[in-house]
Amino acid sequence: MTTRTLLDLRLNQPRFQGMEAGHRACQGCGQALAARLVLEATGPDVVVANATGCLEVFTTAWPDSAWRVAWLHSLFENTAAVAAGMEAALKAQGRNTKVLAFAGDGGTFDIGFQALSGMLERGHNVLFVCFDNEAYMNTGVQRSGSTPHAAATTTSPAGVARMGKRHLKKDILSIIAAHHIPYAATASVAYPADLRKKVRRGLQVDGPSFLQIHSPCPLGWAHGSELSIEVARLAVQTGLFPLIELERGALTGAMHIRQIRPVTEYLKLQGRFRHLFTDDPRAREELAHLQALADHNIEIYDLLGNSPEALDTEGADTVRRGGLHSA
Amino acid sequence: MPTMTPGAFAHPATSLDFKTGTWRTQRPVHHLRPAPCHSGCPAGESPRDYLARVAEGNLQAAWENLVAANPLPAISGRVCDHPCETACNRGQFDSAVAIHNVERLLGDEAIRCGWDYALPPLAADAPKAALVGAGPAGLSCAYHLRRQGVRAVLMDRLPVAGGTLRMALPGYRLPREVLEAEVARLLAAGIDFVPNMALGRDVSLAELQQDYAAVFLGPGRHRPRNWDVDGHTPRDLHPALTLLQEWVAFGTLPEIHSAVIVGGGNSAIDMARVLARTGAKVHLVTHDALPGPGVAREAAMKVAPRDIRAAEEEGVILHPEHGVYHIILRGEKVAGVELVRMKKLALGNGRYEVVPFEGTETVLHVDQVIPAIGQEVAPDGMESLLGKRAFFHVDAAGRLAGHAGLFVGGDARQGAWGTVSGAVGDGRRAAFAMLAHLRNEAAAQETEIAPIGLAELNLNYFEQAPRAEEVLLPVADRTGCAEIAQGLSAVQVAAEAARCFSCGNCMACDNCWTLCPDQAVLKTRELAADGSHYVIDYDYCKGCGLCAHECPVGYLAMEVEPVASAPFASCRTEGTPLDAPVLR
Repeated sequence: MTTRTLLDLRLNQPRFQGMEAGHRACQGCGQALAARLVLEATGPDVVVANATGCLEVFTTAWPDSAWRVAWLHSLFENTAAVAAGMEAALKAQGRNTKVLAFAGDGGTFDIGFQALSGMLERGHNVLFVCFDNEAYMNTGVQRSGSTPHAAATTTSPAGVARMGKRHLKKDILSIIAAHHIPYAATASVAYPADLRKKVRRGLQVDGPSFLQIHSPCPLGWAHGSELSIEVARLAVQTGLFPLIELERGALTGAMHIRQIRPVTEYLKLQGRFRHLFTDDPRAREELAHLQALADHNIEIYDLLGNSPEALDTEGADTVRRGGLHSA
Repeated sequence: MPTMTPGAFAHPATSLDFKTGTWRTQRPVHHLRPAPCHSGCPAGESPRDYLARVAEGNLQAAWENLVAANPLPAISGRVCDHPCETACNRGQFDSAVAIHNVERLLGDEAIRCGWDYALPPLAADAPKAALVGAGPAGLSCAYHLRRQGVRAVLMDRLPVAGGTLRMALPGYRLPREVLEAEVARLLAAGIDFVPNMALGRDVSLAELQQDYAAVFLGPGRHRPRNWDVDGHTPRDLHPALTLLQEWVAFGTLPEIHSAVIVGGGNSAIDMARVLARTGAKVHLVTHDALPGPGVAREAAMKVAPRDIRAAEEEGVILHPEHGVYHIILRGEKVAGVELVRMKKLALGNGRYEVVPFEGTETVLHVDQVIPAIGQEVAPDGMESLLGKRAFFHVDAAGRLAGHAGLFVGGDARQGAWGTVSGAVGDGRRAAFAMLAHLRNEAAAQETEIAPIGLAELNLNYFEQAPRAEEVLLPVADRTGCAEIAQGLSAVQVAAEAARCFSCGNCMACDNCWTLCPDQAVLKTRELAADGSHYVIDYDYCKGCGLCAHECPVGYLAMEVEPVASAPFASCRTEGTPLDAPVLR
C-alpha cells in the first residue's frame, strides 16, 4: 500500500479524528488517547482552550499542530477563564459552537482551580475536561493535589522518611459538585464507550459541565507503555477510581464493579508504588490504607452491583464481532 | 488587515509531517494463529472460521468453509466425539462453544436448501483414482480428489455407500434419513460410485493397480478381534459388533438378562445402550478413563461425553479404569466375571501401559460377556499387503511403504482415530498425497503450528455467557430409532457463534483502532491485504505495544523492529507551509 492511499484511508476514517497522528506524546500515553476520544464524541464544531501541560506541548511542537479543531493555548492558571471568554464571545455572535477547556490535573486541582471555580459559579456553557494523570508530568513528575496517597514522585519520594506522598488525593469532584452544576462525571480511558457517552452528556446540558478522565502516564507512573489500559481498568475495578456521574451535585450514576479486584493488583504494575512491596511494616500499613480507601469508595458510591449488568465493569468493555460497541 | 506572525499559529493536522514511526524499537504485526479447535479436529476443520461466517449471518458461506475440509457435516455433527470442543479455549473460561451443534445445523441446512458442493467440471483427460470402501474415509478421499480435478471411482462390496456409518451406527445417534441424504448428495455431486464390487471377489488389487495410477483402500475394521481371558473363551460368545449390526439391520437381539460389555469405544457404548433398552442389567468395563479435562486422549474412552451421559441415564452401569481378570464359569456357562481396577499409565514416549492393581478385585454376577474390544481389518483381497498384521502400517498421508500408488486411510490403519472425523481427515490427507503421486510431485508437508492458548487472549473483553444446551429425548421415550439429541435452533446456533473467542484471528472488534493513542491504526471498509479490517500505519506507530496487549483474540503480536537502512533518518520528510493566514 502506498503512502498516498494510506493517507486517503486516514482522511476517510469513520470517526472524527480531532487530534491527528504525529504528535509527540510518549509511547502509550493515556492523555493522548483520552483527548482523541473526547473529540471523537464532540465532533468538529468545537473550540478548545488548552492549559499549559503535556497535552499542549506534545500536540503543538512548532511549526506543527496535531489539532483539527480551533484550539487555543492558555496559561496554566486561566484555562477556565479563557474558555468562559470564548463562550461569551460566541454567544454574543449568536453561534452554537461548543466550548471545551482541556487541562491536566495540575491545571485543574491546583494552579487553575480558582478560574475553574469562577467559571462554574458564573454558569458558562463550557465542558471542562481534566486529564488526570496524577502529577505534574510535563515538568518532571512532581506531586500535585491529585497525586494519590503513597505514590512516589520526584517531590514526594519514597525513602527513609516517607512512603511516597503523605497526603490524600484531593476529592475534586466533591468540590465541583458543591458548585451545583448540571453535570459532573469521572471517566477512564479503559472504558472508551462510557467516556464518549459522558462527553456527549456534558455537551447536551445547558450550563457548565465537568469531566475528570483517569489517564495513565507510563513515564510518571513507571509502568510499561503497553499497560496503560490495563492499569486504568484496574483502577476502576479495584474501586480506587470510581466512575460516577453527578447532576446538580447529587449522585445519579455509577459504573458497578462486577468483580472487585484487590488494590495490590493495580499497585504492583506501577513503579511509583514499588516501595509498597518491600518488607517494611510501613509499606504493609500503606497497602492496607489504600485498600481501605478503595473499600470506602465502594461503600459511599455503592459500586457493588447485585448481579451482572450490561454496563458494569465487565460488560462495558465487551467486544463484539464487527465492532458494535454500545456507544 | 492584521496578520498573525508565524510563531503564533499552526495549520490543522500538520503534525502528520512528523513521522513518529522512527521512534519505534518494536512493531505490532497481524499474526494469524491456529485456533485450538482447528488443531484438535482430526478432520482438519476450522470451526473458528465457519463460526465467524455464522456470526455474520451467512450460513451458506459457513457451510462452504466447513465442507472445504469435511463433506459430511450433518453426519459428523451428530456422531463425532468433537475433540474441537475439548480443545476450545472457552472451555477454561465458562464452557466450550457447542461446535458440533453448529456443524450439525449447517449440514442440515445444506440438505434442506440443496447447497451445491460445487465440484469443478472434469477435464476429458482428467487423471483417475480408484477407492475401495465407501465409508467416511473413502467418501472423503473421493470428494477431495474430485475437488482437485481427479476422477474418483468409489467402489463398495455393499449395494449402498456409507460403510460403518450404515452398518454399526444406531439410528438414535444417526437417523437413517440424514445418512441417506448426505451420502446421496455427495455422490451426486460428481463421484462415480460402483456398488456390489468386492475386492478379492469381483476385482483384484492387481487389476485395480493396472487400471488406476492411484488406489485408496478404506476397508474399515469389520472382523471382530479374538478375545479370551487367560486362554479361556466362553462358548456362547457374541462380539458386540455382530450383535449391533444385527440390531441395526433387523432390530433383533438374543435374549440376555445381565451382561458385562468389555470395551470403551462407541460400539461398546452403543451395544450397552441397545441392550439396556431390552430391560437387561448391563455393565460396561473398560481400561479407559472417563473423558474430561486433564485426561489424555490416549487414556480416555473414545466416546463423546454426551453419549456416556446418555448411557448412564438409560441404566448402563459404567466401570471405567477396570478390567476383566477372570471369567467365572459354571460348566461352560458364564456365571460372572472378576474385575480389577486398572489404569492406563503414560510410559513417557507417547505410549501407554495398562497396569492392574492387586487387592482391588471384585466379582460381577452376569450371565453373558460381550467383548467390544475392537475389530481388525477383514483382509479379503489384501492378504498380500496385510500379511499377519491386523492393521495397515502407513505414514501420516496414508502412504504404504514399498507400494507406490497405494494409500490407506480410516479405521484400517494402525493408530486410527476410530471416529468419523478421523476417517474424513485420513481421506483428505490421502487425497493430497495421491494428487502429488498422480502429478509426480513431491507431497507438501503439513506443518503443525502450536495453537493459541487461553493465556494469549485478553479475557477482559469477554463476558461469561451460558452455552446453549440441546433438548434430549426423555429416557422413557428412547425405545426405537428416534433421534435422541434434538439439536439447536438457528437462533441458538447464532448465539453460540457469537460466543466464539475467535482465537488467533481478527474479529474486527475495533479495539486496536479505538485504543491506539497515536492514531496509527486505520480502519478499512474493505478487507486489508491480510484479511483483517485494519492497517497499521508504521509512519506514526511508536511501538508502545498497547494494541497487542489489549487485542482480545491474540491476533496482534509485537516484533523487534527490523534495523533501519538509515538509522538516523529525520522524522520530518517535507517542509511545512508557513503562509500567514489573514485575520478578519
